[in-house]
Amino acid sequence: MKKDVAIAGVGGQGSIFASNVLCQFAMQKGLNVLGTETIGAAQRGGSVISHMRISDKPIYSPLIPPGSGDVLLGMESIELLRHMRLLGPDGYYILNLYSVPTVYSNLGLDSYPSDEEVQAAARRACPRGYVIKATYKAAELGSPQMTNVIMLGALVKVDDFFDYAEIKQLVKEISPKKFRDNNLAAFEAGHELL
Amino acid sequence: MAEKKYVMGNLAITRAAVESGVKVVAGYPGTPATEIVEGFIDYPDIHAEWACNEKVALEVALGASLANVRALAVMKHNGTNISTDILMHLNFTGISGGLVMISADDPGGLSSQNEEDSRILVHTYANLPVFDPANALEAKAMVKDAYVLSEQTQMCFVLRPVMRVCHSRGVIPFDDFDPAAFPTAKWHDDRERYIMSAVEVRELGGIKRPQARHRWLNQKYKELQALFEDSPYNHIEPGEGDVGLIGCGIGYTYIKEVESAFGRKFPLLKLGTLPLPRGKVLDFLKGKKRVVVFEEIEPVVENLIKQLCQEEKIQAEILGRSGFYPSDGELTASLVLAAIRKAAPEVEVSREYQPRQVDIEVPVRTRTQCVGCAHRALLYNLKRVARRYKGVVFGDIGCHDAGSFKPLELQSTIYCMGSSVPMATGAHYAGEKRPVFSMIGDSTLFHLGLMGLINAAYQHGKQVVILGDNSTTAMTGFQPHAGSGVDIYGQVAAKVDLEKLGQAIGVSVHRVDPYDIKATHAALREAVEEPGVSLVIASKPCFLRGSRQGVKFFEPKAVAVDQEKCNGCMICINDFGCPALVYDSKTEKVHIDDLTCVKCGLCSIVCKRGAIS
Repeated sequence: MKKDVAIAGVGGQGSIFASNVLCQFAMQKGLNVLGTETIGAAQRGGSVISHMRISDKPIYSPLIPPGSGDVLLGMESIELLRHMRLLGPDGYYILNLYSVPTVYSNLGLDSYPSDEEVQAAARRACPRGYVIKATYKAAELGSPQMTNVIMLGALVKVDDFFDYAEIKQLVKEISPKKFRDNNLAAFEAGHELL
Repeated sequence: MAEKKYVMGNLAITRAAVESGVKVVAGYPGTPATEIVEGFIDYPDIHAEWACNEKVALEVALGASLANVRALAVMKHNGTNISTDILMHLNFTGISGGLVMISADDPGGLSSQNEEDSRILVHTYANLPVFDPANALEAKAMVKDAYVLSEQTQMCFVLRPVMRVCHSRGVIPFDDFDPAAFPTAKWHDDRERYIMSAVEVRELGGIKRPQARHRWLNQKYKELQALFEDSPYNHIEPGEGDVGLIGCGIGYTYIKEVESAFGRKFPLLKLGTLPLPRGKVLDFLKGKKRVVVFEEIEPVVENLIKQLCQEEKIQAEILGRSGFYPSDGELTASLVLAAIRKAAPEVEVSREYQPRQVDIEVPVRTRTQCVGCAHRALLYNLKRVARRYKGVVFGDIGCHDAGSFKPLELQSTIYCMGSSVPMATGAHYAGEKRPVFSMIGDSTLFHLGLMGLINAAYQHGKQVVILGDNSTTAMTGFQPHAGSGVDIYGQVAAKVDLEKLGQAIGVSVHRVDPYDIKATHAALREAVEEPGVSLVIASKPCFLRGSRQGVKFFEPKAVAVDQEKCNGCMICINDFGCPALVYDSKTEKVHIDDLTCVKCGLCSIVCKRGAIS
């Protein structure tokens, strides 16, 4: 078996935390895990992508070759579209419908696609996909920073490979103490969104 | 008992040095190598430091090595450029305690100002041995071996990990080690080696010492070639046919990723060392009509093998980075697959990478400062003043360099660390009538900027130097420096007084709080009007760092754009450009995105119509 998971978002959305949880899970299963992430400048707002490769066979490259990914978590609308190329024939995506405008779209030099355009483009590119409003839900629960945990909750709902109880336990263990309870609540909320 | 941990490649490198008994570690932050040095914070018995720059770092590490302990210098490729001078001497002298240098490369320039293969500097130029790891696990083994071999050969060893190795995450064993098993400090004078000077060496017929040491280095190179014949980092995997593949460092992993797609197993040579294992390469070349070399970033190994073929009169066609596949950018599985197909078109291929296509335009993201960042307020003022005086702004490396992109388009140049001030001096003396400004950060000033500033003052220059002082190295993730007042461990350390420094250099010094937009504007105007070199120090700690630590920067001020007053003039976006200010093309007005806004309230001063309050 193999599971190639990509998490696309903008800096500061916590995709590294989410990828850590999933990798620890795979490690506990005794599977091989290899991943990488783009870490550019520390500043907020840049495009970031984490690759995570899980397999029972040796994994050589940490990068998911385009057209062979199994899961794409889009933490931001156009970041999902930007990395859609990674998904393979049986791949699916979970989109957090949430727009972080770009500098150029703010200037009117680029046009940031509407929610409807994003969803339609995603559907045309990949027939299997799920759409949630994780950031809005996270804000409702107290902090937009919990978007990542909500996405994990949604992921375990649609993908049997990722076990609900084990992932939840890891969210609990890896969360810093002061965020633990809120993260667990966010995980549950994500699970209920789909 | 070894414990296995899921860690970043950089931490595998840290751990390898720890298990090797390293005593002194010095580096300067730079993606993708930064976390290697930060990893040592967890090992208080090791002296780790953020040095002012990479040359200083390598010199610190060399000093420790000559004092008989194991040492590590860490940098990215740009830093290796800076360390070249000491590199070109320590290669001649050799070392004492094991010395390893990490020079991390960034193929594709994903997080750099340029794209560069540091193997050329450290190997082709300095003739030092280089390990090119395929993955983090191998990087760890290589560093441990490098310490042993460094002492055995008296040479500094270099590890050249690429970003995908540094930033990979995988399972790494953390082995036990006995700290008492490694050498302790003991200075031993060896003037024949450590005093590099043009004195005669009688035993060698009176040639000068530099030539004698060069001879030694050439001899060492041959020794290393022999040593690497049996290196575990070079191996041959048998296959069929007369087309062979060579994978250097991470290039090997892409070949392994795609080889199962082909109807035939190609003979494969995995290489991880420079110098090359000559005998092993010759073995591999036997019976090959065509060989493709996959390496990051320049055709270093390809050219060495071409040279070998010429020397040994081998007819094989050697292909690679020099044009058979793209000579720029990062290797990818798709690129390697395509290149192998091209080299062996007769072999069947079962896989093709078919990326999913998105049929609408996806907007690009450019860099900008974080919401709440003091640099934004400073750049806003600088733009106003530069515009008023029709000035030219020379830029430097740091978070502020994002002011050179839209919407601000303020800085006219971004080159390398410390280049802004001297370039402004040059433009001034070229006779440029427009006033010249230079923008530099505090970490960059201590890195290589200081000499440019001293020079500007000494040459009777005329410019305004704007120092964006956020008391950290922000762009790489908040590493302290000589102006921070703390060391890498957070312990109180000597702190350069920037105002006194400016006074000592002899420039006119202004100190401002960049959040105080009016006072900063006044200081900048005053500086332009005065003769000579002015230094405007704009001090405010990094907002991102501070806000994570719970520091209160301002009274939160909820601001909104009055949609009646806003006429869509775009001044707030073009001159200030906070990401929380959003232009709505339907209403042709600006509004504030509440989820992004941190309520600093700085934008309220920007709108001349008073629409933001």
